[in-house]
Amino acid sequence: MSNLTLSARAEAVQHSFSGGRKYRWLPLWLLLPSILVLLALQVYPTLYSIYLSTTRVRRGEFMYVGLANFERLLRTPSFIESLRTSLVYSTTYIILTVSLGLMLALLLNRRFKFTGFYLVIIFIPWVISEVVAGTMWRWLFQPTYGLLQSWINLYAPFLGERLYTTSGGALAIVIAAAVWRGLAFTTLLSLGALQTVPQEIIESASLDGASRFQRFFSVILPQIRPTVLVMILLTSIQSINSVGLIFSITRGGPGGATRTAAYYLLQIGWEQGDFGTGAAVSVILFMINITLTIAYLSIIGRRRD
Amino acid sequence: MVTSKLTRRFDQISTHLVLGLFALIAIFPIAYTLMTSFKSQDEVLTRPPTFFPPTWRFDGYNTVFNSDMTRFYLWNSLFNSTLSSTVVVTLASLASYTFSRYRFRGSRALELAILGLMMIPGLTNLVPLYRIASDLGVLRPQGLNANLFISAVYTAGGLPFAIWIIKSFFDSIPIELEEAALIDGCTPVQALIRVVIPLAAPGLMAAFLLMFVDTWNEFLAALVLLNGTARTVTVGLYDFQSSFEIAYHVWTAACIVIMLPVLILFVLLRKRFFEAMLQGALKG
Repeated sequence: MSNLTLSARAEAVQHSFSGGRKYRWLPLWLLLPSILVLLALQVYPTLYSIYLSTTRVRRGEFMYVGLANFERLLRTPSFIESLRTSLVYSTTYIILTVSLGLMLALLLNRRFKFTGFYLVIIFIPWVISEVVAGTMWRWLFQPTYGLLQSWINLYAPFLGERLYTTSGGALAIVIAAAVWRGLAFTTLLSLGALQTVPQEIIESASLDGASRFQRFFSVILPQIRPTVLVMILLTSIQSINSVGLIFSITRGGPGGATRTAAYYLLQIGWEQGDFGTGAAVSVILFMINITLTIAYLSIIGRRRD
Repeated sequence: MVTSKLTRRFDQISTHLVLGLFALIAIFPIAYTLMTSFKSQDEVLTRPPTFFPPTWRFDGYNTVFNSDMTRFYLWNSLFNSTLSSTVVVTLASLASYTFSRYRFRGSRALELAILGLMMIPGLTNLVPLYRIASDLGVLRPQGLNANLFISAVYTAGGLPFAIWIIKSFFDSIPIELEEAALIDGCTPVQALIRVVIPLAAPGLMAAFLLMFVDTWNEFLAALVLLNGTARTVTVGLYDFQSSFEIAYHVWTAACIVIMLPVLILFVLLRKRFFEAMLQGALKG
């Protein structure tokens, strides 16, 4: 509704703009710098990436090889393995951050004392760089001198010794660090959504004798459904493209156990300098991102109308 | 309402317990990092590890403050973050003004296309950007300044998000104010600079802040595009790995030095920060 009146008003102002002709192209001039920057450093690299994915460097020359890079990639077991690792990493990350974020937001939304204080503290990990956060977690689980590892050895030995050096343990550490950092984001978004749910609806439901769980699942959740979907999409984009934490905690090891597709791209395209295959991985990741983005835009777009 | 006083009291206590636990989890790794940074090499390699340093020492900070971290990397990060955030907020203000106040054929599609670019991760552009950088001679020490180039890359990366949030701040400013300014004889450009921008200043500040923190923390592009003394804090952190593999007092001191500036910014301006993130992800 408000958008409709706004655009009607915008038209009114357009007419009232003095100077008429002279400022006819003003909107275009205002947009131009941004569009040029985006074309040069976002759109062009993306197209360049698609081109590179069809080439291979032989003796310093770029040779067109068609879809050969993709064919070879899909027959490479370590790449398939990295896709599987990405799936495990992302799914766990999404489930944990979204559900815990919702839970924390519900508690924060009760608005007892210190709510603002808790929110700020819970948000701090998000402000810290991935590589710094990763370094801290790596230190906590350092096999011989790490504090958390030594506490595990003492109080919870069933979790395992030297977790950092086992494949399951290393993946768990990376996911724990990612959730630790990402929880801030989903908590804030959930809280923002919960605050738009009218208090009367919840109260009338509890007058009808709805229990807490009933109230959440049948009254609150339907109201904030679009935000939950947005959170799932944004957290999946985050986790599919996340590299910094893995780089700083495990470098993809041990034995490739924490090598996600994104990390595979970094290794093959940058460390090994194989531009063609690296670009092919980029294109595959890009397609996954585009699919998620279109879904995101359609939710955001629908809500606006 | 049938909620008794007792259940309310129970609710209050259990809420504080759970929130307190999560706050503790959030702060614990940082607190331990801070404690480690005040230990000596021997104390870092003590088994079993202790939480507090037995004696407070500054060996780690001494090493960090006499390294390339404070000679180069901090300044490079400051340069990149300031430059790209300033340019992003300037360009995005102009573009957002068009999207907020004008409708023309294709304007809606263009807006969505730019929002779509927001979702292209820096990661998938890495290989081509490396190629472009090496073609431009950015990677050679005597070539184009690497930090200028990477600031441009950050600008392009941050623009879509900034346009998105600044536009929603512009949308909330009543259009009558500009109309009045126009009637008083302002040109549209003057109306933007003298009326709209000052009113949207908190929103611009918020966008600047988010962009600054993101750039400060960025790792991947910096890893691929920067070499030697052109590196930033997040990449420079790894200097301490090669020479001090197990010297975690030095590593953690470096971590504290790197996170402190953005942490202070966040705590001081947290309201703006939250507002901008909510606008960016959910509204528009």
